[in-house]
Amino acid sequence: MSRIVIIEDNPDVARLAEKLLRNAGHIVIVAPDGETGLTTTFEQMPDLVLMDLGLPDIEGQTVVGLLKQQESTSHIPVIAFTAWPQETAYSMAQAYGCDGVIVKPIDTRLFAKQVAEFLEARNER
Amino acid sequence: MNANDSTHAGMSSNLGMLCSEYNFQQLSELYNQGRVDYIVPMPMNAKRMSEYITAHDVSLTHSVVAIDKNDHQPNGMCMLGVRGERSWVTRLGVIPERRRRKSGEFLMNEALRLSGESGIRHVQLEVIRGNDPAQTLFEKLGFKVIRDLVVIRRPPTPLQAGQMSSHVRQYANIEDNQEILRLLNTRDDAPTWIEETASLINGGGMRVITLTLDSGEEGWIAFQRTPFQLTHLVFNPQASPQMIRTLLRLLHELYPLQDTKVENLPENHPALPHFYAMGYVNAFERIEMVLTL
Repeated sequence: MSRIVIIEDNPDVARLAEKLLRNAGHIVIVAPDGETGLTTTFEQMPDLVLMDLGLPDIEGQTVVGLLKQQESTSHIPVIAFTAWPQETAYSMAQAYGCDGVIVKPIDTRLFAKQVAEFLEARNER
Repeated sequence: MNANDSTHAGMSSNLGMLCSEYNFQQLSELYNQGRVDYIVPMPMNAKRMSEYITAHDVSLTHSVVAIDKNDHQPNGMCMLGVRGERSWVTRLGVIPERRRRKSGEFLMNEALRLSGESGIRHVQLEVIRGNDPAQTLFEKLGFKVIRDLVVIRRPPTPLQAGQMSSHVRQYANIEDNQEILRLLNTRDDAPTWIEETASLINGGGMRVITLTLDSGEEGWIAFQRTPFQLTHLVFNPQASPQMIRTLLRLLHELYPLQDTKVENLPENHPALPHFYAMGYVNAFERIEMVLTL
């Protein structure tokens, strides 16, 4: 069981991701915008952050940059969770130090497994 | 209420309602719904929408929500910035499940009609490269492509030894708005709407670093600083390559933890190679288009 913060402004996407990860046995906290996401991540110190790159207040890349620059959070894997075209998504994720990308829309059969693989990679580091 | 039963869009099933009838929360929600499947979704909350409208001189009495004639629900929205005899189409979007009702064409025709009625002669816009349906619509309405633009970003990254600034005789920070405006008024570039001096000054938070190189060359860089981000970077006219490089290096030495975004840089802008050398990467591309009424 891991603690996961989902930073996602689309409530339908957030609910689905939350449900799938809870069903897989994880503790899930949802933040609907960048500011809440930052606060929640600093408070919860999760095992993984799922990060929508398009947020309504602070841009997702900016949030990732902040998390990766802070000593207390730089070790937390941040997975870009985005509907952007793959080339843009991977380019931005790499530039900002994300630890991986999960492309939307969510594949309900694979989603929990995709997240589990990132968590395993974290544990092996 | 100000509803117009437009006849401009042929078979359109839309009525036009001015955006001035809506609050910022409603406008941001409508905008977000229309952009949910956009190539690069850039959602906004009410605060950001309000700031955007102020910064870019968006006129809510020239901006339109398309209301469906049948169920009276919004189909989409189009905003219009107005500066003198120029207008700028922005925030155009149609809610995905409410498409195929000619709402995009209706909204654009409304924007052009409102522009024409206000004595506007020049309409401009940008479209993200790859948004072919939108570009096709704009071309059908007579818009012409004038240039390609890039949006570049640099994550917060400490400079490496080889990137540190050198050749600096002295530098100074300027936060006085009058002096910043005076410097920006010397620009001789042709920025897009959001990078025009009016947008920069309206948006607030502008700063300038002035710099003198060892060679005696003087220059400056203007930028907007928000709590987490640097944006709207402008160099002094005729800055030499060494001046551009040194100003960029100095900026990132002074603000190592700021995320940086530069929007709508023309693809042939002389500073672009220096941005890349400082670790900037392409985020996406836009195409600027214009129409003379």
